[in-house]
Amino acid sequence: MPFNPLEQRGIPLDRQLRNWRELNVEPIDPDRCDPYTRCRIITMNGIEVEAVLFSHHLARHTHDPEIKRQLARTRYIEAQQQKAVNWLLPGVSSVLETTIAYEQVAVDLTAWVARMEPDPYLQQAYQFGVLEDFDHLYRYANLYEMIEHRKAESIVDNLTEVMPGRPTRYHHRDPYDNVRDPYDRTTVNPLSKLHALTIMAAEQQTMNFYINTGPTYMEPIARQLYQEIGLIEEEHVTHYESLVDPGETWWEQLVNHEYNECYLYYSFLEQESDPKVKAIWELHLNMELEHLHTACDLMRRHDGRDPQEILAPELPNVLTFEPNKQYLRELLATQMDLTTLGAGYVRDAHERFEKMQEKIHGGEAPPSDRVMAEHDDMFGREYRVVSEGEHPDPAMREI
Amino acid sequence: MSDTYTPHAGDDRAADTDVVALLIRQHGDIRNLFDEVEQTSGEERRDAFRRLVRLLAVHETAEEEVVHPWARRSVPGGEGVVKDRLAEEKEAKETLSALDEMDIDDQRFLPELRRLRTAVQQHARAEERYEFTHIRRHADADALAAMARAVKAAEAIAPTRPHPGVESAGANVALGPLAALMDRAKDAARKAMGKG
Ligand SMILES: [Fe+2]
Ligand SMILES: [Fe+2]
Ligand SMILES: [Fe+2]
Ligand SMILES: [Fe+2]
Ligand SMILES: [Fe+2]
Ligand SMILES: [Fe+2]
Repeated sequence: MPFNPLEQRGIPLDRQLRNWRELNVEPIDPDRCDPYTRCRIITMNGIEVEAVLFSHHLARHTHDPEIKRQLARTRYIEAQQQKAVNWLLPGVSSVLETTIAYEQVAVDLTAWVARMEPDPYLQQAYQFGVLEDFDHLYRYANLYEMIEHRKAESIVDNLTEVMPGRPTRYHHRDPYDNVRDPYDRTTVNPLSKLHALTIMAAEQQTMNFYINTGPTYMEPIARQLYQEIGLIEEEHVTHYESLVDPGETWWEQLVNHEYNECYLYYSFLEQESDPKVKAIWELHLNMELEHLHTACDLMRRHDGRDPQEILAPELPNVLTFEPNKQYLRELLATQMDLTTLGAGYVRDAHERFEKMQEKIHGGEAPPSDRVMAEHDDMFGREYRVVSEGEHPDPAMREI
Repeated sequence: MSDTYTPHAGDDRAADTDVVALLIRQHGDIRNLFDEVEQTSGEERRDAFRRLVRLLAVHETAEEEVVHPWARRSVPGGEGVVKDRLAEEKEAKETLSALDEMDIDDQRFLPELRRLRTAVQQHARAEERYEFTHIRRHADADALAAMARAVKAAEAIAPTRPHPGVESAGANVALGPLAALMDRAKDAARKAMGKG
């Protein structure tokens, strides 16, 4: 049945506030949960963090104190939603375990979005990016076995393969080449806007997570790996945020944010296997419907335009967490050696790229290479999960 | 699960000069054994469970003999931190003994095992966050290395890695009951710490 969030009403805003008991959610069991439940939690946390941050930026550009107050009220609810969602993660998980789950999100969320993206230029941006997070997963998985003697498959559970992607040392590009061209808001498919917002929010949260938790490690190689990958996530945020048309008005952007929250909670409600988590998706969907309604009113009032002009006539096909092994293998076979040049992509290392590489590596092996060497010293092999056969790129096969 | 085998702490090629790194890896080894017990059945499960019992008993004993006393003496506020850990260990050991006397085919076995697993995992993370962090902050390299040697000495008395084929009843009898095993681990640790 088609679901049109514009035609639905949810819980009135003044009844959305939760008390401590209601916020005290029961965390998932890391040893027995569906890995994609954890992926959905991590995704929605990133979405709620973006909802809060975006609303702060909007408020800083708002003169009218009454509107500022209205934004503050909704934002407080978004902040409560973020707490309810992120506190579903269990305290017994280590930072590294959560990190591996973050990279699983980056891999399977971006791969799915790439598969569904109707615009070829945007699709290329996701295909390019996913091979990098795919490699991060592999590096962190090897670090995990070194520090905790555990295998990443106990987290990703064979839903996602673990093997080299585009090698992390090549992710360090001149920032000039990290800026893409934006879509055109007047002609783009509404689904593309939701994709860009979702991946941007997920990468932003990943960046923030790594740069805050990285220094809590004592092992030098762990500290250094988080520093290196934290910088790449900065590049990813730059890459994905530049896809969004900067010509969208603030109110239009607010509507897109709230609409996207409806889309994702609705999507995850459809798929969730854990009933307690599902109840949260349902509750939050009903809150978001009201946020969307308020945002639409603001857009009508300030832009004099009907939000229906910029939104899809009904909710697009639900965004799904599912294995993307074959799709990723195709990309591994064909796009490993790409880098960016200006707003486009090339196969050959160009001058600006070479210069950046020279400067940042300073003639030494980066942490992402050293982690593999240290892992090899310890175990005499590397850690991979290849459930579908050898690495598609012969050069990347384990010797 | 893949076929890649992760060797136990002490059997990989790490330098083992830091008792904290060693024990954190061992926490992973314990979790791996819980997985193995849960995922197997019959003789295989019995064998995996025996190895789990041994590793857990020896691990906790080594901690009680080596790292907790050090933390109590040398970490400010160590007394309180260690007290909580000891209480958790006592409880875990009791559940472990009860399980050890149960047959793996007993209906209560899996639920009890899972309860133990949750408790052991919470205990291990609490050690890592509230005790080991302070040990690393206050111990010098020599102390970390000496403690690592003592932990390894305690573990050497009861091999816990899988030896397909040699897992006979005889070998198990030779190790004796759980309490005796812990006593011998204790002696070995004390000897290595120079107070045997
Ligand atoms: Fe929200
Ligand atoms: Fe990443
Ligand atoms: Fe990323
Ligand atoms: Fe919202
Ligand atoms: Fe312990
Ligand atoms: Fe322990």
